[in-house]
Amino acid sequence: MNLPTLPDQADLATPETDAERSSRFETEALAYLDQLYGAALRMTRNPTDAEDLVQETFAKAYASFHQFTPGTNLKAWLYRILTNTFINSYRKKQRQPQSSGSEVEDWQLARAEAHTSTGLRSAETEALDRMPHSAVTEAMNALAPDFRLAVYLADVEGFSYKEIAEIMGTPIGTVMSRLNRGRNQLRLSLADFAREHGLVGGDDDA
Amino acid sequence: MNTDLSGATMTPEFEDCTDVLRSLYAFHDNELSAAEADEIRQHLMACEPCLDHFQVEDAMRLLIRRCCAEEKAPEGLRMRMRATYSRTVIGFDSTE
Repeated sequence: MNLPTLPDQADLATPETDAERSSRFETEALAYLDQLYGAALRMTRNPTDAEDLVQETFAKAYASFHQFTPGTNLKAWLYRILTNTFINSYRKKQRQPQSSGSEVEDWQLARAEAHTSTGLRSAETEALDRMPHSAVTEAMNALAPDFRLAVYLADVEGFSYKEIAEIMGTPIGTVMSRLNRGRNQLRLSLADFAREHGLVGGDDDA
Repeated sequence: MNTDLSGATMTPEFEDCTDVLRSLYAFHDNELSAAEADEIRQHLMACEPCLDHFQVEDAMRLLIRRCCAEEKAPEGLRMRMRATYSRTVIGFDSTE
């Protein structure tokens, strides 16, 4: 572990008052509001649940903020609370409309497993600039929840495998396999989208 | 994964393109050792198809981050959160 442990405020000499802790919470934790909301939106896949999830996450974080060690990774700590809250209270009541949104066909999964390439060439990646946001978020939403979260934490938030393992409460090997499968699947759907919508040309070898 | 504890770094980890491509995510994630990353880098400089894969992956990451990182919390939520956790700053109105 090489997280910096800053010689922070003279916390031993003067215990923090509630008011001080509140204001520290406000400046430090609330700074992650947008990021946590973005993650909550990908987890719950709907804005109302995402708002509720974020509110509950901050309430829990506030209640245990005195246990958080200043100088350690606040962002990862908040994500861990977010993830736990989601798993414990939201995922249960969310009916996964897995069958209705049958975006992911078996053959696609099989293709993703095989780690075949997306078929895109680097010369064609300019087309990705013209991808609508909705194409990306829908492709994300089509991933199984555990894959989706792992991919989000890595690709969007840039957490390390170790941090993701801590946030999701799983071994690193599990993180890597979720990432691998989720990413393959996501990239294949994005490449398919680009081809189907004519963003990249056919497979002529010019 | 055969970690040889005798510690010799003579045998290249990545025999061919398949090995390189399998480690491309980890390379991109900065999760490889410095020696492994160097090997991949050398391979990428010499192998155009693998370099192409790398560049496509790079573009995919940019796309995904760009699309997902633009989500902003709704203003209502932001104001509610501020109001809830900034009691100390606001100061109480002593009309009671």
